Amino acid sequence: MTFTSPVLVAGGCHLGSGCGYPAPGYPQSFLFGTKALFVIGSFKVTLPILIALVCAALVIAFFWAAFSNPKLVPRGIQNAAELGMLFVRDQILRPMMGKRGDHYLPFLVSLFFFIWFMNLMEIIPVIQFPVTSFFMFPVSLMIIVYLTYNFVSIKNLGLGGYFKSMIPSGVPVFILGLLAPVEILQYIIVRPFTLAIRLFGNMFAGHILVSVFTIASWYLFSASIGLLFAGASFVMTIVLTGFEMLIQALQAYIFTILTAQYIGGAYETAH
Amino acid sequence: MTGKRPPPAGDGGQNAGMTVFSYLLSGMLVYGGLGWLIARWTGLSLIFPLGMLFGLALTIGWVIYRYGRP
Repeated sequence: MTFTSPVLVAGGCHLGSGCGYPAPGYPQSFLFGTKALFVIGSFKVTLPILIALVCAALVIAFFWAAFSNPKLVPRGIQNAAELGMLFVRDQILRPMMGKRGDHYLPFLVSLFFFIWFMNLMEIIPVIQFPVTSFFMFPVSLMIIVYLTYNFVSIKNLGLGGYFKSMIPSGVPVFILGLLAPVEILQYIIVRPFTLAIRLFGNMFAGHILVSVFTIASWYLFSASIGLLFAGASFVMTIVLTGFEMLIQALQAYIFTILTAQYIGGAYETAH
Repeated sequence: MTGKRPPPAGDGGQNAGMTVFSYLLSGMLVYGGLGWLIARWTGLSLIFPLGMLFGLALTIGWVIYRYGRP
């Protein structure tokens, strides 16, 4: 304890920036963010919007590079892109929709990779910001999916069949009357809502968790017992970053597989 | 949609879990809302929580009926 001032040691304060621990807060609106980076016309471009645009460009560039000049025997980046497409087709599309859903493959592949890239921005150094932790981004994706499967359902079953398909069959009439409003509400409102809130909630919570441990490992860093806590926090940061990589891919997968399930379900007549 | 599809592998049952959750939420919303309306109409505020409980019980029964059997 000779290498620092006794005041700092006694107080357990941080070596560099003095005392005090500012609790991590969330200074922006959780919809789109409020701090405009720059303004085009009357449209404020915030950081998440900019990152989302960059992600879209990245997805386009990735598949452009892979398939602009396709070879029969894939090599390099084409190999990776084909692996991704096959994963979406065999793990997500085929089990949920069967062969007849194959023309939805481009939609599902772009959805999966777009969400995954936006999630991945959480752990890319310097950016470190998952776009999907702003609520309006999952909601806009959800609206695309919602319109798609409702449109497919009405087109396939007609308006009457569309409502009929929501109502369960094979249950007694008495129970059916009680359950029908529940099913209809679940189909029209709760299902799209949970689709969006799950992606948002997972990414939001993960981002907060990682940032809390990162901030803690910096602010607990002092020449006292706090050093121990700082070290533990730092280890937790690394562990959680690895964990978040898993969650990011998993959430993109779940969003896409539910999309496939909803569109696939829209094909089916009422049982 | 009432199809009994096998749960997709690899998501740790999250899919089925969220479906169950959204059912419980819908049930409480529908019958809670109905109870709230009746409570406003009759002035008996007890009907609102009773309606929510009824919706919850109904959807729990429905979830057991649909997912609980092998």
